[in-house]
Amino acid sequence: MLRLWPLRQVVSSAGARFIPACQKSTAPEPAPELVEVFVNDKQVFVEPGTTVLQACAVAGIEIPRFCYHERLSIAGNCRMCLVEVERSAKPIASCAMPVMKGMKVKTDSPVTKKAREGVMEFLLMNHPLDCPICDQGGECDLQDQSMNFGSDKSRFTDIAFTGKRAVEDKNVGPLVKTIMTRCIHCTRCIRFASEVAGVEDLGTTGRGNEMQVGTYVEKMLQSELSGNVIDLCPVGALTSKPYAFTARPWETRKIESIDVMDALGSNIVVSMRTNEVMRVLPRVNEDINEEWISDKTRFAYDGLKRQRLTTPFLKDANGQLMQTDWESAFLAIARKLQGVEGSQMAAVAGGLVDAEALTSLKDLMNRLGCETLCTEEIFPMDGSGTDFRSNYLMNTTIAGVEEADVVLFIGTNPRFEAPVFNARVRKSWIHNDLKVAMIGAPVDLTYEYEHLGETVDVIEKLAGGNHPFCKVLESAKRPMVVMGSSCLQRSDGSALHFMVSTLANRVKAASGADAEWRVLNVLHRVASQVAALDLGYSAGVSGVREAKPQMLFLLGADEGAITRSDLADGAFVVYQGHHGDQGAQMADVILPGAAYTEKDATYVNTEGRAQLTRQAVTPPGMARNDWKVLRALSELLGVTLPYDKLQEVRQRMAEISPTLVRVGEIEEANFFKQAIEATKAGKTSLGKEPLVPPQQVLKDFYMTDSITRASPTMAKCVQAATEAESSVH
Amino acid sequence: MASRAVQQGFKQVKPILSTNHHEAKRRVLNLYKAWYRQIPYVVKDFDVPISVKMGREKVREMFNKNKHITDIRTIDLLVIKGQMELVETAQIWKQRPHIMKYFEDTVNERPADFLGKFYDGHDP
Amino acid sequence: MSKYIEKISRLFRIIKENGGVLGSVRTVFRMEELKTGTLVGEDELGNKYFHNPMYFVGRSRWVVYSDAAGHDYDGSQVPAEWHRWLSYISDETPDKADLPKYPWLAKHTENQSGTPQEYVPYSTTRPKIQAWKPKTEEVYRKHF
Repeated sequence: MLRLWPLRQVVSSAGARFIPACQKSTAPEPAPELVEVFVNDKQVFVEPGTTVLQACAVAGIEIPRFCYHERLSIAGNCRMCLVEVERSAKPIASCAMPVMKGMKVKTDSPVTKKAREGVMEFLLMNHPLDCPICDQGGECDLQDQSMNFGSDKSRFTDIAFTGKRAVEDKNVGPLVKTIMTRCIHCTRCIRFASEVAGVEDLGTTGRGNEMQVGTYVEKMLQSELSGNVIDLCPVGALTSKPYAFTARPWETRKIESIDVMDALGSNIVVSMRTNEVMRVLPRVNEDINEEWISDKTRFAYDGLKRQRLTTPFLKDANGQLMQTDWESAFLAIARKLQGVEGSQMAAVAGGLVDAEALTSLKDLMNRLGCETLCTEEIFPMDGSGTDFRSNYLMNTTIAGVEEADVVLFIGTNPRFEAPVFNARVRKSWIHNDLKVAMIGAPVDLTYEYEHLGETVDVIEKLAGGNHPFCKVLESAKRPMVVMGSSCLQRSDGSALHFMVSTLANRVKAASGADAEWRVLNVLHRVASQVAALDLGYSAGVSGVREAKPQMLFLLGADEGAITRSDLADGAFVVYQGHHGDQGAQMADVILPGAAYTEKDATYVNTEGRAQLTRQAVTPPGMARNDWKVLRALSELLGVTLPYDKLQEVRQRMAEISPTLVRVGEIEEANFFKQAIEATKAGKTSLGKEPLVPPQQVLKDFYMTDSITRASPTMAKCVQAATEAESSVH
Repeated sequence: MASRAVQQGFKQVKPILSTNHHEAKRRVLNLYKAWYRQIPYVVKDFDVPISVKMGREKVREMFNKNKHITDIRTIDLLVIKGQMELVETAQIWKQRPHIMKYFEDTVNERPADFLGKFYDGHDP
Repeated sequence: MSKYIEKISRLFRIIKENGGVLGSVRTVFRMEELKTGTLVGEDELGNKYFHNPMYFVGRSRWVVYSDAAGHDYDGSQVPAEWHRWLSYISDETPDKADLPKYPWLAKHTENQSGTPQEYVPYSTTRPKIQAWKPKTEEVYRKHF
């Protein structure tokens, strides 16, 4: 496949750019390998192999384009980027033409302008005039560029409508809406599907005027990244089905935030209108998600409007949950807690909880004398366990995959547990000849990999050095071992973690990578886990099962890790969260909290990078920000927490772990040797069962937490994916 | 910088209306009397749900609110402002809500403590 | 002179028709007037309708509300077919007029404003946020 030219490097590297004040010999001597190009008589130096379009970008001139996209391969078929080059018979397509020495490009000449007008005229001739009912209206490249570069008059005289081109719409699933008449054949969506998403579903049929983009036979676009084609489409041919006809881009307010559907913390923009989340779009962050987001991130927002907890609930004399106000709910808790020892209490935090709420809950419970604070997601606590940060982080970082040359996945399916990370691995697999191997149930990762086996004994062999793949790992310069947190949910999780750490250290020693390169990676599945472990929560609910508490506080814990049978008889359960799910159903008191679009909160992703969500809408009804609920409750329990403002909570967080307030930064964590030594003592035996990640096929991907379970769009996706599985195509 | 401030402190200031404390006090009393006599007309003209007694008590309260002020220039300025209010009231340039604004005692104060604000639902 | 005698004798007749002095006081207390007339009909609620062309048009037809209503009577207690006669829309009383009877005609109800049955306007737009409702258990259904 065609290797992409890294435009970013060209633009950002200061050494590649020389724009002298005058063109005399006073100009600084450029590096000899650079090529001299003149853009509108302005001299620039670029690396050989750069395209004319990129050279113009270096000179500060943006060339109009439809098919060209810097993260996709070059197609050169829209012809919008035509520019005049001196001593060239015809205008050239600047996106596909490499620069030559002394090339003189003219981006504003009459020839260029005429060429653009001509292309525009051809495009508009067969493009419907339905901008008023088109969802792309206001953010449409064709609209904008026809205003800027098109002709001011039309030669299209077919008023009687004898045959403007029209194409039948395709049904490609519940997420992407197609209006194929609007398509201008830029093939961005096709290139995205085959290059980034790795599904060869989209393509073209027919030639010339008869050309059509589609799936050939009608079927669902079976990708976890399919929503990105909506952003890529320069016209309104591919739009969002759930968002259709709901809002215009100029009506909405955009709030920059963070996604919590997986542990990557993709950067997003939340579009809000009249206190309602209208849609979610990706935001560029080169370190995490580039400019892609998964379908769960993009489309699960309608789950924020259903099954919400809007008032506190309290069980009445009949054992029935009834709506109540905050004061009665708090008083009921305070009354129940009288005479309950701290040792008979426990708290469990779920997967969508922010660091502020986790801090407040821990402070509150500790003040009540309770030390049993757990997360729902299990992580081995034996030996060094969670004492060293490097034990539970993705140490290589997400962007680090692009430098790696071998990746070994253990018991994970990154395609569904971290779709954007998987796209990054695929990118590296295409462009950097990354070698991928996998231990665990064989799943479709959209790229080729060496399957080493399903059971744990393969890891044992690898760690012992008696496996043919050891040679590959040892010869690697920058190897990576990625362990899924899902495989650590097993009873032999700690032994597994120890085995993988041993393997990672062995590989590290053998590969001769520099000291800063870190091999061991843990890929988490839920957004709150790293922050919870940083704050000192114990991972897994085994502590609660042992304690059999009288009182249990569930903070957004909806996965059903704890049931009534794990508690003392007549135990009192408080649930705080934003959705009515399993946790709320088993509770005696329910306190409504805020979802991630409704609060300013900190989430730490699997790399250990703290990021902030911003409040886009207000929490519904009587719901309040989670840490405020805990702060208010603490006052009624007589153990007032010492913070009233968000800044004060963050100060407290900084006291516990400064990494939680260093937003956007990754703290060094490199204690693998010490971790291994500390773990050696307590070691259990490995199980024999194969490593099977819980999300194996596409239909498992969509509904994984309380928000996605409440989302009608995600339900439709599961249905469509199930149908697509049994389809003959 | 500091020496200049001290200098300014000693400088003779230009009087606004009164040259001594006695004169200022006379002006305040005159204004108070004018308000006192105006109140029955205010109650009638504006048709406000308050009695003459309540109005006079309010005037007294408003004057007492500034009784700690001793600076002659400040007193003079307050007298001028009070006179302006009086003219605006007497000429009926004001409207009923402007009069009733003085009787806001029944409006609940917003809570200042965390728990009060939490129950109230606005951001603490 | 005879004019006055006639008026006085009519007064006595009215008092007699209303059940003597005591009955007349009761009627005045309840209805604030004393009248004489012929009973033309009675509806299913027990309201009695009277007619006397001697009075001026507008006062010549009246209703004596059923005792069940007590002092708490109002105009909406008159059914639609009697309202037709009472308001001079027609001279025929409902039993004489050939009024159509459809199976879908609702039974007459008086104005329910101010009672628990009153109509309260409500929003028909869908709420932006759909709140969660706890699952009801059998125990609960038995109690209520």
